Amino acid sequence: MSVLTTSVPERSLLLHHPFVRVALSGISFAALLAAPSFLPAYFVEIGFKLLLYIVLAEAWNLLAGYCGLVSLGSSSFFGLGAYVTVGLLNHTGSGIGLALAASALVAMTLALAMSRGLFRLRGLYFTVGTLALAEALRLLVVNVPWFGGATGLFVSADLPDVTELFRDAALLLVVASLVMTLATGSRFSVLLRAVRDDEDAASQVGVRAFRVKLAAFMVASALIAIAGGLQAIKLGAIEPYGSFGLQWSVDPLAIVIIGGLGMRFGAIVGAIFFVAIGELLADYPELHVAITGIILIILIRCAPRGLCGLLETALRRTGPTKVASS
Amino acid sequence: MPGLDVIVNALISGLLLGGMLALTALGLSIILGVMRLVNLAHGEFLVAGAYAGLFLLQRTGIDPLVGLLLIGLILALIGYPIYRFLLAPLAGKGSEAAMMTMFGLSIILQNLFVLLFSADTRAIERDYATIPLMLGPISVPQIYVIGFAISVALIMAVHVLIARSRFGSELRASADQPLAAAIIGVNVSRVHALTFCLGTACAGIGGTLIGVALSFTPTSGATYLLTDFAVIVLGGLGNVLGTLVGGIVLGVLQSVGGLTLGDGYRDLVGLVLFLAMLQLRPQGFLGSRA
Repeated sequence: MSVLTTSVPERSLLLHHPFVRVALSGISFAALLAAPSFLPAYFVEIGFKLLLYIVLAEAWNLLAGYCGLVSLGSSSFFGLGAYVTVGLLNHTGSGIGLALAASALVAMTLALAMSRGLFRLRGLYFTVGTLALAEALRLLVVNVPWFGGATGLFVSADLPDVTELFRDAALLLVVASLVMTLATGSRFSVLLRAVRDDEDAASQVGVRAFRVKLAAFMVASALIAIAGGLQAIKLGAIEPYGSFGLQWSVDPLAIVIIGGLGMRFGAIVGAIFFVAIGELLADYPELHVAITGIILIILIRCAPRGLCGLLETALRRTGPTKVASS
Repeated sequence: MPGLDVIVNALISGLLLGGMLALTALGLSIILGVMRLVNLAHGEFLVAGAYAGLFLLQRTGIDPLVGLLLIGLILALIGYPIYRFLLAPLAGKGSEAAMMTMFGLSIILQNLFVLLFSADTRAIERDYATIPLMLGPISVPQIYVIGFAISVALIMAVHVLIARSRFGSELRASADQPLAAAIIGVNVSRVHALTFCLGTACAGIGGTLIGVALSFTPTSGATYLLTDFAVIVLGGLGNVLGTLVGGIVLGVLQSVGGLTLGDGYRDLVGLVLFLAMLQLRPQGFLGSRA
């Protein structure tokens, strides 16, 4: 089965020494936690959105970039997370942390339940199956009376302010980054890439392809659901067309294709670019999506490894000694 | 419990609508079967056909049913450059690249429709869309019967084209063994181009019929894309007549779902059926390996 990216293990643009990496990550996380205290409110809002998008994109990249599972169903888990979180907050009076954890669990259960059908047929059918799942869940929530129908639900519990949510999102990003570090740097990463590049060959040498895909799918679903829960708390109200909206499936895909599919920093670079364009075109939402589509088509054709791929090629061309192949 | 005549009416309109669904699904099916391309912009081609019918009527006064072939031609002419400039260069780069390109196109088209034609719900208004055809206790809008007849005729025409003509044998060869077909002198790229145009034309003509029979919005496409996938799953990929059967079965099931659970559940029936088929009988999808 062919994939957009080649099988070459990706090389990060940053320094490779483990200590430098840990130190850099620690410093950036501390900076993230401190940021909302002195940033203007507008930037805290944007920052929250950016963090959420990076998490969604990391999850999508884990599936598509590292495991070959191109999903159009992020919104199913995003909306599921939103509804489970709000339901628990409203009816059990549980804390936010507990509600978010529960939504992750429910998302993993759904991923497990759907895996048999979604993985049985490979490649393209996974994409269509996930799209159908998202649409089916949305219609279910619209029609079944428990979920407040098309008008949705309000959060009746007290809501934390955006500064606190920003920190929660930063924490979620740390979890997502740890997951991605594991998925790209451990033994598991080799299994993932083997399944992505040639599932049959991987199975022949003893990789349990189904389990590898299932693990990636469940982890990604959990991350997406928590992000959905956070967004619901931020808004204070949910409705099916917002929470299960196609944009939650499209945006992570667009971010990763723009940033670089299967590239370690693809999600971050893509999200910054995507959110920046979104803010520039905030008054023209339709134009924004149309332009995103055009960028997607151009990048798939000319730069299948996205901005990170372009940057890497440029660096290699100008300074072949600086970026020694590791 | 609704009366017997209501039930019979619902089943018959489901059957007739299913025939029209089958025509649109055929467009998705031949592109998937021959080019191995999941045309994620299929729903937008369908909506484009509906808009084409609407504007043909508004601007020139040509009845959409008279102009159906013209609409098919317009959609084919839109399809060709899309194949030539977006899909053909991606040949050999894997099927995901082409699929995601079509996805990019679908979000572009969807938002262009909103920008150009507004987000309003539209319907192509003709007398025959509202005047019912009475036959004893049965009464269905005339367009259901007309649309069904046209759809079945076109599906039969495509079936004969694929089963009997020279182009059809080249098409079947390209679908089964593209490399071998190329070696014995089939211009596979040309076959793909024509297949893509045929697929968009089917989607467009079906879209016009649906635009007369029901209403549509710029974002209706996604629902029809998934419904058509359900039809393909039911009918079997690459099976033209199976698509007709699949469409009718789904149309009837949707009616049953709408009747027993409420109208909001119509589309859900198709999706649940699709997901259940994936779990239980995926070989309905593709005869050979996926």
